[in-house]
Amino acid sequence: MTETVTMAKALTLGLRRALEDDPKVLIMGEDVGKLGGVFRITDGLQKDFGEHRVIDTPLAESGIAGTAVGLAMRGYRPVVEIQFDGFVYPAFDQIVSQVAKMHARSKGDVPMPLVIRIPYGGGIGAVEHHSESPEAYFAHTAGLRVVSPSNPVDAYWMVQQAVRCPDPVVFFEPKRRYWEKAELDVAVEPAEPLFAGRVARPGRDVTVACYGPMVRTCLDAATAAQQEGRDVEVLDLRTLSPLDLDLIADSVGRTGRLVVVHEASVFLGLGAEIAARVQERCFYLLQAPVLRVGGYHAPYPPSRLEEHYLPDLDRVLDAVDRVMEF
Amino acid sequence: MDTGDPRELVQLLTPEGERVHHPDYDVELTDDEYRGLYRDLALVRRIDVEATALQRQGELGLWASLLGQEAAQVGSGRALRPDDFAFPTYREHGVAHTRGVDPLQLLALFRGVSNGGWDPHEHNFALYTIVIGNQCLHAVGYAMGVQKDQAESAVIAYFGDGASSQGDVNESFIWAAVFNAPVVFFCQNNQWAISEPLEKQTRIPLYRRAAGFGFPGIRVDGNDVLAVLAVTRAFLARAREGGGPGLIEAFTYRMGAHTTSDDPTRYRLASDLEAWKLKDPIERVRSFLWRQQLADQSFFDGVEAEAETLALRLRDGCRSMPDPGPEQIFDYVYAEPHPLVAAERAELTAYLATFAGGHQ
Amino acid sequence: MPTYQQFTLPDVGEGLTEAEILQWFVAPGDRVSVNQTIVEIETAKAAVELPCPYEGVVAELLVPEGSTVDVGTPIIRIDTDPSGAAPAGEPAVPRAEFVPDPKPSAREALLVGYGVKDAAVTRRPRRPGGGSTRPVTPTRIGGLEVGRAVERALADAPVQAKPPVRKLAKDLGVDLRTVAASGPHGTVTRADVEAAVGAATGATVARGPAGVDRREPVRGVRKHMAEAMVASAFSVPHVTEWVSVDVTRSVKWVRRLRETPGFGEARVSPLLLVARAVIEAIRRTPEVNATFDQAAQEVVYHGDVNLGVAAATPRGLLVPSIKGANRLSLPELALALRELADTARAGRTSPADLTGGTFTLTNVGVFGIDGGTPIINPGEAAILAVGAFRRRPWVHKGSVRARWVAELSLSFDHRFIDGALGSRFLADVADVLEDPAAPLAWT
Repeated sequence: MTETVTMAKALTLGLRRALEDDPKVLIMGEDVGKLGGVFRITDGLQKDFGEHRVIDTPLAESGIAGTAVGLAMRGYRPVVEIQFDGFVYPAFDQIVSQVAKMHARSKGDVPMPLVIRIPYGGGIGAVEHHSESPEAYFAHTAGLRVVSPSNPVDAYWMVQQAVRCPDPVVFFEPKRRYWEKAELDVAVEPAEPLFAGRVARPGRDVTVACYGPMVRTCLDAATAAQQEGRDVEVLDLRTLSPLDLDLIADSVGRTGRLVVVHEASVFLGLGAEIAARVQERCFYLLQAPVLRVGGYHAPYPPSRLEEHYLPDLDRVLDAVDRVMEF
Repeated sequence: MDTGDPRELVQLLTPEGERVHHPDYDVELTDDEYRGLYRDLALVRRIDVEATALQRQGELGLWASLLGQEAAQVGSGRALRPDDFAFPTYREHGVAHTRGVDPLQLLALFRGVSNGGWDPHEHNFALYTIVIGNQCLHAVGYAMGVQKDQAESAVIAYFGDGASSQGDVNESFIWAAVFNAPVVFFCQNNQWAISEPLEKQTRIPLYRRAAGFGFPGIRVDGNDVLAVLAVTRAFLARAREGGGPGLIEAFTYRMGAHTTSDDPTRYRLASDLEAWKLKDPIERVRSFLWRQQLADQSFFDGVEAEAETLALRLRDGCRSMPDPGPEQIFDYVYAEPHPLVAAERAELTAYLATFAGGHQ
Repeated sequence: MPTYQQFTLPDVGEGLTEAEILQWFVAPGDRVSVNQTIVEIETAKAAVELPCPYEGVVAELLVPEGSTVDVGTPIIRIDTDPSGAAPAGEPAVPRAEFVPDPKPSAREALLVGYGVKDAAVTRRPRRPGGGSTRPVTPTRIGGLEVGRAVERALADAPVQAKPPVRKLAKDLGVDLRTVAASGPHGTVTRADVEAAVGAATGATVARGPAGVDRREPVRGVRKHMAEAMVASAFSVPHVTEWVSVDVTRSVKWVRRLRETPGFGEARVSPLLLVARAVIEAIRRTPEVNATFDQAAQEVVYHGDVNLGVAAATPRGLLVPSIKGANRLSLPELALALRELADTARAGRTSPADLTGGTFTLTNVGVFGIDGGTPIINPGEAAILAVGAFRRRPWVHKGSVRARWVAELSLSFDHRFIDGALGSRFLADVADVLEDPAAPLAWT
């Protein structure tokens, strides 16, 4: 029984299931209750589950993350929302100093089974701080797990899996894809576990590895490349920490060429880690250096300029051209 | 919730436009000055209304309306001296007006053409800060600088009721108190932080927080431009004279949505607005001017005409605002040359040159 | 003169993609002023009233109430100069039914704050010669300028080559510094390394100290070859027959074909005509293109000729096959042979190429050899070795002349191919090489 859902709706449904399945699950954040969230992701949940489970918090991200730590210690499973990527930084201290380290510090006595949901990425014509891609900061921090769905079906299943995960999960939602639609069958759970990637489109000539908002862009690029006689394999990484290196290495073993695409700036982005690991693991299989397409080493520009900053079909295919020239 | 002692709401002009007295605060204004305040309020509202329409027409990506808060901003803004410095949030278009910032420069930010829009030092008006509460710490730091310079300026830091929950804001109170910094914290309590009402941020009236941090706090009728002017003048003077920080809570109401992306019908009742419409900040000044025969129809018509002209200029200016060129992504990232930025700028420029028709 | 302006649906909420038209507040013919509320829309976030951007007269409502349209779709057309009369003879453009206007191209900024734009699905047109911009030089990989010191080091560096080429050189014992680089930007290619190997005198494999035994593990292709040969030689009863052929006419054909349009890109060589001869001969003796299925005690006659061509590659002996060679025209066969050779030489022969062969050709002639007793490729029924095309004295039209002569050696599986069949096949191949027109007369 399938229904057409937007990613936003899929997340709402997934969170609803999480609340139904475990009475210890809480949702906390700014405007998540009465309003249902500025993107309506938590629409209707407070009405159905009550104010003690779906909580409108004071305007303080550090408070949101910090109190989540305490609630987790008390046996709850907080699912907190940071309203926009650019507003996570007041919470960064609590996340990195406490959420990430508590399990290790307590030798497992105090697990942190919480989910930190963050809408991220650009392409929505917004003002400053609403289009960031800070995933590398969190992936770089041991103790945190970091994932990002690219489509409504993954969003539905991955958010539930993240809630059930005993480790803290930073759950990055590509906000520019919130309104894209797909067919969702809630009876058919996909084969992939949470911390695995997937081949989104098989191909022979070159591997394009991407995640979150860029998956759609890279699939479109692969379609355009097909017209030019190029067969591009697109990997939807889905999980950023841990990285699914087996998936990537297997693909590179077959194609010999890799391009990594993300909105975050190239300098010290996830592409750097992937490139380093791939060149180590697949050195003799590489026909070309690993190329990365991403944002520039500059603050995210005003929205009139964002199309030049964000990787698009042309820039992805440009990189594909370049690896094929070797 | 304890809304505080009604006597502790400083008011000099009732919603009906009647002048009332307060034992501690007053203003003495010339007729021109009274009329000038009306003009300020009317122009500020017109800017706001026009910008909201422009957003709905797709000319701006976003607009944060100050509808209903004109008096809080004009009253406090007009209390500032030219050498005082103001730190706004992102809604202080009325303060910007009093500081002499061209409203078109505000539109540039919301149109997505710039992340700034003006030179803070030109008008002593900092750039809009979208991360909630950051600017309060900046204000305290600036005030500490003023102190070190032994200058006789004061600093005003604007923030909202929601922001009062942020760590940065509370830290700024501590610093200001400990260092006795010449900063006035001006909280526009418009009752809402997007969908969250005041009760979600505090259990006591906001102005009483100041006592906990060790400096005076006061609540003023935020829709009364005269009261706001009087209180802000007094607090600024105290700060300038070395009396240290103060907290002014301007009790007002956000008549519009949080921003044009928001839908207030989801969390508040239309009837709430009705009550506040009766407290409109501009209406009471209009009534006062009529009542005191300080203005006639030709004055009001003149202001209306001026507002229309301003709106038209905003409209045309906004729609003809040039887009920045792509290389501007790389301008000003650093103060000094940086090899990576230079390389990427060259890369993007070369890349765009390969397309038919150049970049668009 | 009427001047029409269109108002396109804006993104009113930072990233919305569509909206439903709830209610129009104006109708065609109404006068409208700037900022007058004209329509209410519903988005994923809110119901919103839109103010009119223009002053004038409503010419047409382009989207009916109740429909959902994408951001960027024109929703209303307004005549901003209604007092101007239309020039005579210019008909109004009637719109009988609702046809959604095409969205603006993905490259146009949709008013402000692009919203979530339509994804581009084709590349933007490039200037002529405006391909990918970053030069593919090792010093500028990724567009990052390599620091000066490193640049200098690279300039002094003895060789630049891709990792797989470096491995090849290492495996073959070739010092990259001694190899002439013919690749782009001064890089050493695989072909360069192989050429260096070919040119080396003496053993190409790294030698151990004189007088001491040296052990080398048998791996990869070599191992596979060893196993295949054993499997074939010791399970299939091989019989080898040979014949000497006057191939002069074929050599002349090769020269003619080389000048024929349609063969431009291909490599026309004697091997091409041998391949053709084999394919023709298989038609008359399909047994040689079969497999003896010992387990099922059946002979499988293959529907196609997947012609394998033994190739000496950097990895060792490989037999990639041309699938369906019988269905290719001569130019196509020529092209296929060229591609097979190029791929094998580049070391990029794929596993799919290496399986599914039904008959194998082995060209021992390139080594200057005339013939031998080739071993059948496991799974096949026969293998033909082609010797060198030499000038030899031959009796031609009654007198001794110098003619082009070659030997053909055919090994076949004597479990199901007897001497008569094998001989007939070999004779047919020889006939076609002696007279390329021979198949025309076959029944």
